[in-house]
Amino acid sequence: MGMTITEKIMACNSGRDHVVPGELVWTDVHTVMTMDFLGKQCFDKFESLGKKEVFDKNKVICVSDHLVPPPNQKFANMLNEWREVVKKHNITNFYDLGRQGIAHQIMVEQGHVLPGNISIGTDSHANTYGAVGSMGNAIGVTDAAIAMATGKAWFRVPETVKFNITGKWQPWVMAKDLSLHIMGMMHWNGHLLYKSLEFTGPAIKSLSMAGRMTLCNMTVDLGAKNGIIAPDAVTERYLRNRTTDPWEMINSDEDAKYDQVYNVDISDLGPTVAMPGKLDDTVPVEKLIGTKFNKAFVGTCTNGRLEDFAMMAEIMKGKQVHRDVNMILVPASQTVYLEALRAGHIETLIEAGAAIDTPSCASCAGIHTGVAGDGDVVLSAGNRNMTGRMGSRKAAIYLTSPAVVAASSITGEVTDPRTFDK
Amino acid sequence: MIKGTCWVASDYVMAYDIITSEYWTSPIDPKENSKWVMAGVKDEFNHKNAFKDKGYTFIVAAHNFAGGGKSIEHVITGLMGSGIQAVFATSFARLQFRNAINYGLPFVTSSDINKGCETGDELAYNPENGIIKNITKGISFQSVPAAPFVAEVSKAGGLMNFVREKIAKGEPIE
Repeated sequence: MGMTITEKIMACNSGRDHVVPGELVWTDVHTVMTMDFLGKQCFDKFESLGKKEVFDKNKVICVSDHLVPPPNQKFANMLNEWREVVKKHNITNFYDLGRQGIAHQIMVEQGHVLPGNISIGTDSHANTYGAVGSMGNAIGVTDAAIAMATGKAWFRVPETVKFNITGKWQPWVMAKDLSLHIMGMMHWNGHLLYKSLEFTGPAIKSLSMAGRMTLCNMTVDLGAKNGIIAPDAVTERYLRNRTTDPWEMINSDEDAKYDQVYNVDISDLGPTVAMPGKLDDTVPVEKLIGTKFNKAFVGTCTNGRLEDFAMMAEIMKGKQVHRDVNMILVPASQTVYLEALRAGHIETLIEAGAAIDTPSCASCAGIHTGVAGDGDVVLSAGNRNMTGRMGSRKAAIYLTSPAVVAASSITGEVTDPRTFDK
Repeated sequence: MIKGTCWVASDYVMAYDIITSEYWTSPIDPKENSKWVMAGVKDEFNHKNAFKDKGYTFIVAAHNFAGGGKSIEHVITGLMGSGIQAVFATSFARLQFRNAINYGLPFVTSSDINKGCETGDELAYNPENGIIKNITKGISFQSVPAAPFVAEVSKAGGLMNFVREKIAKGEPIE
């Protein structure tokens, strides 16, 4: 019997010809990522295993993203300890302040994740790596420490659910809208727990790498184990200048067995918003037209890419952010920042009255810059909207696409980017 | 056999609320993490050692326990540090399910457990046959038995010990 792409990846990285869902396997990992606020503990645990050197100093990827630049002394001290331990282990790929970005952006953008491989990271949005056909998986510090020592991790082979996405993308509709639409359709509390989600179909083929990253990124928020898109010409073009490591085109067999298959036609899909508190409580933007908010945020591993900045610049060019709105924009990496700067998007957005923050997780994790205070109503293009996510437990967070945030920030109320300046 | 009282979650409990964001940057340590565990779940647990001081042995929950997508291990060490020896739920979020396995804390799936227990009930859990008895109410629940690998890791006292022993003996990890 045939295998799905995720089953194939798990089989070939565990030295097997075939695996079936439910099976427990130890697989090789291609790369292990950890970042500033957990990394020191990974290395400490790694050392406690009795190993002196990591399995491959080129394959342990260290990123400063949650705490940089440090907003307080506690974080500054944590960063110092982190730098010391990374240096001690002679890690080749250390993306520290100045070369930093959000870890998941760095992993994909710098070619550390490849089709057909398994890469793990100590942050839940490691599912992002599926955008290039990698099995990206979030793990804890324990798994990272063990992988650093052995180059291996254990997995239960997941059942695969296929999403066949058809239809043509409407103008101003983004991958984020599809993510939120699927969230509303599948709910948050169970249907997709532990599953591997495979996205296929013509609307996926036409999706940019940035969009693919957004879609795979949020599969963790559906409760899934991973999200994956088989590599194609878009992947090949994207990876060409990012890696010299070999990789192969890999795809699901035609007779692969799926747990479920869902067909989603996006022809009528419009901008979508998740209501505060629950990711699966989604509504079309039309339902919220006129809703006031005072904070706007676009950034994160979900929506901090060049394409997102280009979309916002197009909408906001020559206009002004509403006087009752504070808008914070955070490029997902220094590379994205520079590209957006060179393309003129940053200039356009600053002229419109948006503040640009240094690449980091920033407001999204609620522990760094730009946090939400009591009574704040945030319109965010991040990935989570539960109580307290961005700081105060008395703040409300609406989640949506960068296009909706951009158009709405001009008017000061939730606005449909398809019609706002008509 | 493990015996003790249970706390029943009134709604499905998120990892975010078990350990709130101000404690994500704490060291992963049962004693430290248990001080503020469950602080975001209920106001009554939002003061130092509040959950721990209740002395519960078990948690009974419904869908997607420890969901919301955080992979931090503080959630598990926080529960363990406050004396929790097993969590029973109708389903678990994958990230914390994995962490629980790695720490040897039984996260036990039982399809109707949430319908028959009240906070404070005395339960007895037999990991061998997966039976959860509610001694107070005189009823029993069947649970999904742990997979052999999970039982092996639990016996070793967690995945770190399991792997450490293999490394020390020069055994392959497979």
